[in-house]
Amino acid sequence: MIKIKQLQFRYKGAEQAALQNIDLVVPANSILGLLGPNGAGKTTLLSILSGLLPCPANTVFVDGCDIASRNTSLRPRLSLVPQDYAFYQQLTVLENLAFFAGAQGLNKVTGNERIDEVSEIAGLQDRLEVSAQSLSGGLKRRLNLAIGLLNKPQLLLLDEPTVGIDPHSRHFILEAIKRINAQGTTIIYTSHYMEEVEALCDEIAIVDHGKLMLQGSLQTLLQTGKRQSFAVDLCELPAAESITLLQQSLTFRRDLLRLTISVNSTRDIIAALQKLEALELDVGRIHYGANNLEELFLDLTQRSLRD
Amino acid sequence: MLRLRYFVYKELLLLGRDLHGLLLLFVMPAVFILIMTFALQDQYANDRQVKIDYLLLNQDDGVLSQQLVQHLGRGDNLRRLPSPGDEEQLRVMTAADESQFLVIINADFAKNLADGELVLHLDIAPGTRPVLVSLLKAQLKNLLGKLYLQQQLSGASTPESVMPELEMPEMIASRFLNGENDDSGVDRSKPSSVQQNVPGWLLFSMFFIAIPLSNTLISERQQGTLQRLHTMGFPYYTILFGKLIPYFFINILQVVVMLLIGMYLVPMLGGGRLMLGNSLPGLAVVAVSASLAAVSYSIFVAQIAKTTEQATILAGVCNIIMAAVGGIMVPRFIMPPAMQTLSELSPMAWGLDGFLDIFLRNAKLVDVLAECGALLSFSFVLLLLSITLFTRSGLRNN
Repeated sequence: MIKIKQLQFRYKGAEQAALQNIDLVVPANSILGLLGPNGAGKTTLLSILSGLLPCPANTVFVDGCDIASRNTSLRPRLSLVPQDYAFYQQLTVLENLAFFAGAQGLNKVTGNERIDEVSEIAGLQDRLEVSAQSLSGGLKRRLNLAIGLLNKPQLLLLDEPTVGIDPHSRHFILEAIKRINAQGTTIIYTSHYMEEVEALCDEIAIVDHGKLMLQGSLQTLLQTGKRQSFAVDLCELPAAESITLLQQSLTFRRDLLRLTISVNSTRDIIAALQKLEALELDVGRIHYGANNLEELFLDLTQRSLRD
Repeated sequence: MLRLRYFVYKELLLLGRDLHGLLLLFVMPAVFILIMTFALQDQYANDRQVKIDYLLLNQDDGVLSQQLVQHLGRGDNLRRLPSPGDEEQLRVMTAADESQFLVIINADFAKNLADGELVLHLDIAPGTRPVLVSLLKAQLKNLLGKLYLQQQLSGASTPESVMPELEMPEMIASRFLNGENDDSGVDRSKPSSVQQNVPGWLLFSMFFIAIPLSNTLISERQQGTLQRLHTMGFPYYTILFGKLIPYFFINILQVVVMLLIGMYLVPMLGGGRLMLGNSLPGLAVVAVSASLAAVSYSIFVAQIAKTTEQATILAGVCNIIMAAVGGIMVPRFIMPPAMQTLSELSPMAWGLDGFLDIFLRNAKLVDVLAECGALLSFSFVLLLLSITLFTRSGLRNN
């Protein structure tokens, strides 16, 4: 378990603190989604946890150990997968894995075993002899992840591991992360993709301007959020008279084909769908709850995650 | 410590795939050594190897002027070219650098010699080096002096045809002091172009490791690999040693390859043979000190440059300046005193002095300790500065 108490951090020469009084708990074996706009302090927090930035004493504890004590026994249990392709482009996939395994002190037998395991998790078994620079963006992300798994970490810090890749590779990486978590690894995951976070994370923490705005289980946060509307995408543009009739019984907002309808309960949703059916308005897609995390985030931060 | 071997192996793999880096470190100095050794061969050649071409026009028909012509023809370093035309044609040929000199013996040579009048005209081609002018003038003065003395000793009334020729015995014994106590049996009595050029261009190339080394270090910083290694528990100095060790050995390999080129390839191509001197320990210590200086300098360049482009330009320009000042491009002994003093600021000059002490001056290990000390101090200061700069800036991605 990771426990962060009143963590503050200010970069040298900066006027504002990058992190202010952060209190955060990451349960063991969970996946924490760390959300925040660009410059919110996510990477600073990951850098402190991973040892790239100095950690103030008595603020961050991993399984009860203060990481400021420079307890080197924490190192093998932690791994950071940075947003950059932090490996050697001129080397092959296997040479990269072999270097990072050896550099971390894995002996040849253990190292080879781990290389087999992580290349299987990352789906790189057939590309071990390929030069890293000739891999696609998605495969590079997978290699970046595989290197981070070589030391079999108990705590895995993932800094936007799916940014800029195709849906297939994204799906592959998300599935791999679920598998790693199922094997007992605690994961802190930062992303700008709300749907990923909702699909993957048990816990959510939202930071902005260096402050922790919110933390809790995804379920709890969504329940406390504003789930007072749902949206439907119609198959065709509705006639004006259908709209008028709908307005008599429903409160909604229209944006071309999308109707965002205010509701108070699940029963209201069923009733609204029945009214649409009665007016012969075909529904192509229903959105309920899928955007709630984003809405919650926007309510808290007053800006888009993808800005 | 065992983990370091992975860093060393990784660096060797990276360099092995860097064709430009390999060309820079091994092919460039080899080409420089060959070109400069042969281009400057005459500069270091002994007096028998210097060839002076001249055209001759003898306007006198006396015996003494014929003796002068014969003496000139016997000169080891003088080569008379066929003189096909009249004075004007010969002058045009000389002006076109077809010959270095035109020697004209005036009419009434013997009379003018006795009277102290002008007896010769010397026309000099525009491309003739001043040192050759001095050399030819000295030889002509020597010959004229001999003929004058011969004339005076024979008496003014003695006809030219019966004057006995004056024989001057060899009265000067000369030698270079670099071959003393050499029991190798090889004639090492004179410095040669290869002795001067191999250490010079070798040092030049050793400092050029700044480009591949700084490029890999900066790429690691920019791509986040350095940060990743740091999160794995490697302190910065471990990462530095991971670079210092392989590049140190690459420097040593450069030394071996370039010395072998000087010892075997240059002679095969018709040049002189590089002689290593009598102190292999001294040579080894100079090579190690120069390598440590070059590697530390490279790490320092990587620390102060923000991008690989900056590092390449910075290292390239600094290397050329250090080489120009340090006597690599222009030998220090032909520099004026002020420039020679200035050249002592260049680490390449310290290394070059060390190598030349071993190769030319028969120095022993103890004799090169001053140069090695300067190189090691330079290395220590730059490493210290690099670590200090790193500590201040951190592992930033800049």
